[in-house]
Amino acid sequence: MSASGIPAGRTFLPRRLKLTSAGVLLVLSLVLWGYVVGPLIATFQRSLAGEGLLSEYKPFLDFGSVQNEAMRGSLWISFLSVISAGVVGIFLAVLLNRWDFRFRKLYQALVLVPIALPPLMGVKAFYLLFGKAGTFPQLLGQWFHANSADFALTGLAGVLLVHTLTMYPYFYLSVAASLAQSDDSLEEAAYSLGASKFQTWIRVLLPMLTPPIVAGALLTFMSSMASYTAPLLFEVNNVMTVQIANNAATQQSLASAVAVVLALISVVFLIVIRGYEDRRIYRTQSKGGSRKRHRVTSPWVKVILFTCALLSTLMLILPIAMIFLLAFSKNYSWRTAPLPSEYTMENWVRLFSVSDAWAPIRNSVEMSAIAVAGAVLLGVTCAYVVAKTRVRGKGVIDVAMMLPWALPGTVVAFNLIVAFARPSAFSFGQVLIGTYWIVPLAYFIRFSPLIFRSTSSSLSQLDPSLEEAARSLGATWSTSFRRVVLPLVRGGIAGGVLLAFVAGVGEFVATIMLFPKLKYRPLSIAINDELNVGRWGTAACLGVVQVLLVLAVVVLMRRVEDRSTITHSS
Amino acid sequence: MDELLGSEHQGERRQVTVLTLDALSKSFQRAGLVVDSVNLRIEDGEFFTLLGPSGCGKSTILRMIAGLEEPTSGRILFGDRDVTFDPPNQRGIGLVFQNYALFPHLTVARNVAFGLEVRKTSAEEIGKRVTAALTQVQLGTLGAARVDQLSGGQQQRVALARALVIRPHFLLLDEPLSNLDAMLRGETRAMLRAVHNESGVTTIYVTHDQEEALGMSDRIAVLNGGKIHQVAAPQEIYERPATRFVAGFIGRNNAIEATVTGLQNGNVTIQFSNRSELTLNSGQRAPGVELALGKKVVACIRAESLCISDDGPIDGILADIEYAGSGSSCIVQSNTGDLKIEVPTSVRPPSRGESVHLKIAAPAVHLVEP
Repeated sequence: MSASGIPAGRTFLPRRLKLTSAGVLLVLSLVLWGYVVGPLIATFQRSLAGEGLLSEYKPFLDFGSVQNEAMRGSLWISFLSVISAGVVGIFLAVLLNRWDFRFRKLYQALVLVPIALPPLMGVKAFYLLFGKAGTFPQLLGQWFHANSADFALTGLAGVLLVHTLTMYPYFYLSVAASLAQSDDSLEEAAYSLGASKFQTWIRVLLPMLTPPIVAGALLTFMSSMASYTAPLLFEVNNVMTVQIANNAATQQSLASAVAVVLALISVVFLIVIRGYEDRRIYRTQSKGGSRKRHRVTSPWVKVILFTCALLSTLMLILPIAMIFLLAFSKNYSWRTAPLPSEYTMENWVRLFSVSDAWAPIRNSVEMSAIAVAGAVLLGVTCAYVVAKTRVRGKGVIDVAMMLPWALPGTVVAFNLIVAFARPSAFSFGQVLIGTYWIVPLAYFIRFSPLIFRSTSSSLSQLDPSLEEAARSLGATWSTSFRRVVLPLVRGGIAGGVLLAFVAGVGEFVATIMLFPKLKYRPLSIAINDELNVGRWGTAACLGVVQVLLVLAVVVLMRRVEDRSTITHSS
Repeated sequence: MDELLGSEHQGERRQVTVLTLDALSKSFQRAGLVVDSVNLRIEDGEFFTLLGPSGCGKSTILRMIAGLEEPTSGRILFGDRDVTFDPPNQRGIGLVFQNYALFPHLTVARNVAFGLEVRKTSAEEIGKRVTAALTQVQLGTLGAARVDQLSGGQQQRVALARALVIRPHFLLLDEPLSNLDAMLRGETRAMLRAVHNESGVTTIYVTHDQEEALGMSDRIAVLNGGKIHQVAAPQEIYERPATRFVAGFIGRNNAIEATVTGLQNGNVTIQFSNRSELTLNSGQRAPGVELALGKKVVACIRAESLCISDDGPIDGILADIEYAGSGSSCIVQSNTGDLKIEVPTSVRPPSRGESVHLKIAAPAVHLVEP
């Protein structure tokens, strides 16, 4: 949206380009149909192939069935995750943005650590810390001379802990951003009108924070519905993602029906989120000046706030610390003690000496790179078509593009299994399942929306008069696109690329269902295999590599952002 | 009245008559001393303006009166009551912010009702007073609208109604016109005056715009660098500035350095650097300016008090001319420095580069300390 409030301008295309753009549109539609919508429909068709037409869907309404149990389980876990992640996220956002105390800046940096936590290894670290025979249960058991199993977080509790500590950033980021944008004068106006501190919170601040809280809740709910790794490791089997994965090969029509229901729920959330994004974001304009943070004076409050901040950030750092510690532990050495007892450099030496140790890393980077290259082509083109042209049907493109963002990885993978188990035109007559290409294809589908989104938001901030100025100065459409539009949205594209790459390096959920053979296994599968045979040290070592790759990408992203923050006003 | 509100001190304005600032100072960690020992007494029902350039401390004084900043030292008295450290919600003041600070999640009527709701006023009473307040600011029909549907001028009036409806002891206005365009500014000024006359509420108005200050106020305090330079009625501020700063800040003004060369019969003669002399009544000076032979003073001469005249003692060349309808504003490069003059349209306008002679209307000259 341009500053003047006029919707972003559309560019009139010259006639010669109209043909080209029709061609582009055709290709886009084919790609989206072939790889996104088509596979989803294939799954739907597969689910109808049972005895009666809708027979696979009837059990969802029957309270005793496994399908119904899994659906309720998924919804229940998601609901609880929203509550607990919400409490933690909102509390931390308010604590770190409204009050001032020692090391606040440091906490603010640490609070986002969960974003760098690799999906599989991160959950495993939580398990090793808090799960059965984990570090904390053992310590507490020794302390109180009790059975350590009594202190272990298992099943639902474990999943909730993981969800809380990995998903609270959804709340934290949106609430913190809203707090940073909100204006002191609103609070001051409330005080001056006679409201007490409490009244001001209830009547002004909380209502103002409702939109970011709802946004965080929607995202958390959606991610919890899609969560697969945490239920898998904490052995909670009655959730939809696990049910799909477990039945993908054996009872395909059952798995199809579950996938379709889960997809429907996700799509509903996608629609709600998209509708919500445009509405009810309160912006206030204040005249410069710095925001006040409340300096804490009461020593008791000081101690309490400090302890809260310390404990919560400790909880966040522990999993990463555990991965690093494990990476230096001897395989099979950790049996009964709270922490690994023998340490070694062996894992690292192995990584640099054994010839195929690098293969998973190479595979991950390579597969992500292939997927991202395709995703850039698709995402950027779609974003430009949707934002800047007047073609009919671009709304459909918008929805189709965002669909895979909403679908759980499990569902995306399952759709591909159903669609590409047979040769099809979109797989050039090949059976893709079992080949190298199925994994980059899944990544491509999952990550295109990330690039589409970030490019779209860059494009919508682009003042339409810039392109018009270029045209008025005599530039052709392609020159103005190349020399004006592209340089200005480069930051947005780069941001999407890096996000997609991070997601690719950590991807586990879809990969575990699709990866073809040992030779082509990417990082997270290698980690999974090592974990399954008990070589935790080796697995953690690869986990550290994941963390480092993610960090490298984050640093790179910062630099790109710094360089591309060209502000233009209109 | 008090029974009506059921509140002891949360804003029932007839009880409090005078606002006193007693040696009020405020220093910030970074900016240092922003308000420097300010003494002020604002009378009941007055329209009082704090005028000064940005950063002069005027907004900080207003925020201290509102209770949004705590003074570093000094006292604030509402009548006899010391409110220096009272929280803002117990002061009973109505504050209108520069950016209006309307609650975006509430309708216009709910915004106005806010102060009454937190005072637990009865619903019936709230309804009556909100309607009255909205009518007073000519927004009677917009109660159900969302605030982001309103224009800037309308938002401004909602903010005013919201502040007035609680019947505050004092109405505080922080540059309320600075976000409006010129047309609306004129209208809103008229409305502010009307509201003030109607309600009789003591109003404290902060602005950097001298025209607003001169046009609206009963009295003005001119501030610079956290210090009060002058407190007086608009006409006196304009005609008899107390300091060189006030003289320069208000109106188009020339400050010319001069030396006292003669003192007799209640008259004073001053000499400019070009040796030309001027004799004035010795009363034409700011309080505190001591007159003695050889003393350096600054003669403040308004642009409209300089006129082009062939027998004028000051020679110069017309360097720039700007037509402004009722007259022309000119810059003359003279042997006493660059001078601003106003030439009425009735006089033949000189053209650029022409050499001119300037005469000073002696009764309009005012002496201040250099």
